[in-house]
Amino acid sequence: MSKELIRLRDCVMSYGDEVVLDHINLYINDKEFLTLLGPSGCGKTTTLRIIGGFLSPTAGDVLFDGVRINDVPPHQRTVNTVFQRYALFPHLNVFENVAFGLRIPKADASGRKVKLPEREIHDRVMEMLEVVNLKGFEKRPVSALSGGQQQRVAIARALVNRPKVLLLDEPLGALDMRLRKDMQNELKRIQQEMEITFIYVTHDQEEALAMSDTVVVMDGGRIQQIGTPEDIYNEPKNAFVADFIGESNIIDGVMRADGVVEIFNRKFQCLDKGFDKDEPVDVVIRPEDVDIVDEAAGQLRGTVTSVTFKGVHYDTIVDFYGFKWLIQTTDYCPVDSRIGIKIDPDGIHVMKKSQYSGMFGDYSSYSEEYEELDAAVPEDGEEDDSREGGYEE
Amino acid sequence: MKKQNRIGSRLFIGLTFLFLYLPIFLLIVFSFNAGESSTVWQGFSLDWYRALFQNRLIMESLYTTLLVSLLATVISTAAGTFAAIGLYALSKRKRDALLVVNDIPMMNADIVTGVSLCLFFVAFFQGWGAFAKWFNGIQGVVELPERLVLGFSTMLLAHIAFNIPYVILNVAPKLRQMDRNLVDAAQDLGCTWMQAFWKVILPEIKPGIVSGALIAFTMSIDDFVISYFTAGSATSTLAMRIYSMTKKRITPEVNAVSTLLFLSVLVLLVLNNVRELRQERRADRQEIREPSFFEKLSMKFNQPAFRWVRRGLAGAMACAFLAAVVLLTGATSSQPVVNVCSWGEYIDEDLITQFEDETGIRVNYQTAESNEALYSLLKNGGADYDVIVPSDYMIAQLLEEGMLEELDYSRIPNFEKIDPRFRNLPYDPENKYTVPYTWGTLGIIYNAGMVGEELDSWGALYDDAYAGSVLLINNSRDALAAALIHLGYSVNTTDEGEIREAFALVADANRRGVFQGRVMDQVFQKMEGGNAAIATYYAGDYLSMVDNAAEGVDLRYVIPEEGGNWFVDAMCVLKDAPHYDNAMAWINFIASTEANLANMDYIWYASPNTEALEQYPAYYEENEGEPLDMELYEIMAPPASVLERCEMYAVLPLETRALYNDLWIQLGT
Amino acid sequence: MRNKRSWFAVPYVIWMALFVVIPIVIMAVYAVTTADPATGQFQLTGANFTGMGLYLSVFLRSFWLAVVATLVCLLIGYPVSYWMAKEGPRFQRLAMALIMLPMWMNFLLRTYSWMSILENNGLLNQLFRAVGLLDLLAVDHIQMIGTPGAVVLGMVYNYLPFMILPIYSVIVKLDGSLIEAARDLGADGVRVFRRVIFPLSLPGILSGVTMVFVPSVSTFAISSLLGGGKQTMLGDLIELQFLGGAYNPHLGAAISMVMMVIVVVCMVVMNHFGEGEEQAVML
Repeated sequence: MSKELIRLRDCVMSYGDEVVLDHINLYINDKEFLTLLGPSGCGKTTTLRIIGGFLSPTAGDVLFDGVRINDVPPHQRTVNTVFQRYALFPHLNVFENVAFGLRIPKADASGRKVKLPEREIHDRVMEMLEVVNLKGFEKRPVSALSGGQQQRVAIARALVNRPKVLLLDEPLGALDMRLRKDMQNELKRIQQEMEITFIYVTHDQEEALAMSDTVVVMDGGRIQQIGTPEDIYNEPKNAFVADFIGESNIIDGVMRADGVVEIFNRKFQCLDKGFDKDEPVDVVIRPEDVDIVDEAAGQLRGTVTSVTFKGVHYDTIVDFYGFKWLIQTTDYCPVDSRIGIKIDPDGIHVMKKSQYSGMFGDYSSYSEEYEELDAAVPEDGEEDDSREGGYEE
Repeated sequence: MKKQNRIGSRLFIGLTFLFLYLPIFLLIVFSFNAGESSTVWQGFSLDWYRALFQNRLIMESLYTTLLVSLLATVISTAAGTFAAIGLYALSKRKRDALLVVNDIPMMNADIVTGVSLCLFFVAFFQGWGAFAKWFNGIQGVVELPERLVLGFSTMLLAHIAFNIPYVILNVAPKLRQMDRNLVDAAQDLGCTWMQAFWKVILPEIKPGIVSGALIAFTMSIDDFVISYFTAGSATSTLAMRIYSMTKKRITPEVNAVSTLLFLSVLVLLVLNNVRELRQERRADRQEIREPSFFEKLSMKFNQPAFRWVRRGLAGAMACAFLAAVVLLTGATSSQPVVNVCSWGEYIDEDLITQFEDETGIRVNYQTAESNEALYSLLKNGGADYDVIVPSDYMIAQLLEEGMLEELDYSRIPNFEKIDPRFRNLPYDPENKYTVPYTWGTLGIIYNAGMVGEELDSWGALYDDAYAGSVLLINNSRDALAAALIHLGYSVNTTDEGEIREAFALVADANRRGVFQGRVMDQVFQKMEGGNAAIATYYAGDYLSMVDNAAEGVDLRYVIPEEGGNWFVDAMCVLKDAPHYDNAMAWINFIASTEANLANMDYIWYASPNTEALEQYPAYYEENEGEPLDMELYEIMAPPASVLERCEMYAVLPLETRALYNDLWIQLGT
Repeated sequence: MRNKRSWFAVPYVIWMALFVVIPIVIMAVYAVTTADPATGQFQLTGANFTGMGLYLSVFLRSFWLAVVATLVCLLIGYPVSYWMAKEGPRFQRLAMALIMLPMWMNFLLRTYSWMSILENNGLLNQLFRAVGLLDLLAVDHIQMIGTPGAVVLGMVYNYLPFMILPIYSVIVKLDGSLIEAARDLGADGVRVFRRVIFPLSLPGILSGVTMVFVPSVSTFAISSLLGGGKQTMLGDLIELQFLGGAYNPHLGAAISMVMMVIVVVCMVVMNHFGEGEEQAVML
């Protein structure tokens, strides 16, 4: 891709004993769509706020175009933010909200504060309202807009300042499913149209995979993996990433040789190499990579314990030797039937053991609620901010 | 809801409002009364409004009230808003702890706040005095004032102190409700923190600030207690002025000023209500309409192109406000002044104007309630007086404590005219400190119609026959003196047994309900209106009561056969008086024959000026067109034979004074 | 943190220390000392407190009258607030304005107007005379001024708005769906009031009681104007020590301290039952 724009070097953020960011190293390229992905409290919002200038890291450097900007206040950074719940100014109408940044006098080359001419402000605001499809709304009070419209105002308000980087903090969190899908496309379109860098924070992995050039998966204040959506999905680095991105069955295995992994005392062909002989590993098998075959023809044999119709496919939970797998298949297998499965070598992904081993990947408690609970986790940042009740943090 | 219930509830609410507004309504009605009575309607007139605008004391106090309320509101609103923002940046634990302290002035009784602030200021002044003395001693460039006293600025500080908590309490919830990302968003869009404050925080918390300011203003204008303790003596708010007037005679000028206050607030309220109502109707109808001319104007005005106009206007308004404050305070401070403290209704106020016209010295005229109250004021550091007019025994006490300054008699040529009878009296044997102001006697005033017989004994004060209609004088010295005389003891006795016996006489009568009340200058209203039958008071005031008595009230004065008390009130100058020269001018002016004649005619107290005493009957006849009733003149200026029956107060030793105090407080319990 | 403006609080903290905390400390110092008459030096003493037994009756009278005034305010104020909250918004706004309005006239003016009404020869007695009530009772006048009743009347008159405002502001914010829910669950009107409305308006009542009781117990102008100087109350006693006839600020400070402590204890006990001070003083 193109040149590097932002770099975080060994950034640490801590409040007293509590470490929120643990030595983050990250670079972001120009015109890139980068997503910080992780569960609540993983440090993604904190990272964003450090880039935005609302927080200073306890240790480490923030570089912008190679210049250290740790101490540059937010209003002097060529970075703009779309806030969680938008933070639109309730006392101003749509036009004035968008025009807000343009009305602040900026220092010109000679250091004199100059104000933009009213004509230019008007043109730029109208142009930007057109970009976000809000033409004709400029006189409305922001309280009279729907969630999606408010979202567009927030984006227009940030973009009208022509920032080099746009930071988006869970911008779609408050929208319903359909609107969310529309807005994802819209955002991607805007990013390509404006040709600027987007740094996007979300806990929704689907959103991350759909929109990003680069995904940064975070947990516990650390970066777990950086990569393209395909890399992250296909080659998760550890059990956490594997579990967080999509559905995964994660099983204990032993690497018997290059290309051979043993699960449930049975050897499977795989594509992974470079492990020690007899090294214990985590094995990830995506539910859609499993083929159901006759019991006799299967590499493993088990009993179906539950089936849920999902539209395109069935979520089938199968018990293998006490370990429950999730299998997504278009074939219907009734509960209590005995089945066999087959896995192709490229469907098996072997990972080194990590702190997350054994924590994920078992579907024994799987239920519909599980997913709902996950979705109901409050937007990230709540716990980052609620530390001290100040509204200005 | 059943229909009937609603009628009942509205009736109840209506009655409550009647209760709240009937007294105010009466107040307003009687402000248009032709007579001086606040109970009998004597026809319509606007005289009291005319009188009000000419009454400098009331107008000054009104101005003081408005100024202190406005300044305190502006300052405490600004300070409280910033404090609230600061508090909200603190951790919750620290904030909660501070908010508890913030609640103290609101939870505390006003009197406790007032008293503690008063003590604080006095302690500070003492510390400051020591510092200033030291500082002035080591260098000669800057001269710091060594003596500070309670006054407008201490009162303003006190008002700010009790207003800030209310502002914080109103602003804080708005801060809590505010989306905390708003400030971030503004900064993100290029604002500095200060710009974000003006453009985002302020509009968001404006409702809280407005209601905070409103509460602060209400509290300030409604306050009496805290001002009373922190304003000292030279500054009076309207409430303080009225409080001191209730002790003497309230004139319907007070009704007039109340009416004006009430009506102006009412107009503001109605305007505001009408505006809100209109907005609401519009919102109801969802009406989209052409903006009115004024709205167009204000929209235009809000455009950035007009920012210089806007800034200019704001600047001009700020300058005007500052200039007004500076001018008004400056006008009063640049002029030479003399601070005088006397008793209520104890001077012909025309003399003040006359003196000011002649000399260009502004007279800051204050009153105290009694010798003892004056003493408290002086001890409390609340007084900045030059000239005071205490009575004989109090002069002796002040001299004993070294609180008086010698007078420069070469600048008081009028002292020559003082009758030798009133010179070199025991309280000032060499006459180095005093110039007598008035003299007179203490006796019984009674309503002949109510009493039905001629009184000739102090015993009447303690007689069950007059239960509920005797007024006890609210001053330990005079009240116990009457009892001592009745029992045949000296008014200056130091014998504890005798004093306790006299006290027992008073206390016993009090228990039996003989006394209607303990009053000082309220005696005027009570006796003149026929609300009480018997009182102990001064001869001069008796004459004034006769003059003002309601129809059918026949008042008499007697110095009972057991004897009485005679007194001299004299002008003295306090040590370290800030305007000694002006004080000399004032004393000389007041000691002149003309001033004494005017005073005698106005307050009915006898003058110590020989010429004035001789000329008064002729002066009276000339002014009133009828000869002076010589019987009354003898009550005013009694002959030597009467004075011989009377004893003058001497200063009592400390223990006896303490005994008087203790006993006196016990009487109220 | 970059955006913190916590130093904004610093001037305020200093200010509070100077004008709230230190004055009370100085008052406490005065309360436990006495001035030597000769030198003016302060000497430590407990006499200010031990001698206070003398004024027990003043304490009792103050608290008794304040309690009576507070109860009367509550009995009038609660129904008024409750019924006001049921009226339409225009009625409510007008009523609120009318309740606030007298507060912009100084309370001494309002108290003064009662003097002319309650005098022995005042408007009320004139009215009684005119309707023949006095002849009926064969008295010259009915004694009203100078009685404890007159003092209570003055307190109720002046402090009633302080009772109505907080109760009203709590009741008017009550969630209507709670009442509907209670009705839905079968509660009748009386029970809805007793079980739902009244408990929920308790914070307003508590702050109203506080805001009436505290100024009532410490008043001195009302008692001296309407009590004829006979109904000595704590406020009068304190004033007497500072600006009145008996100059003894040490005793005055001691009485203030005791009053403050008793009031604070009362408040703490009351606030044990609920919190409400905040709504009370907000418009």
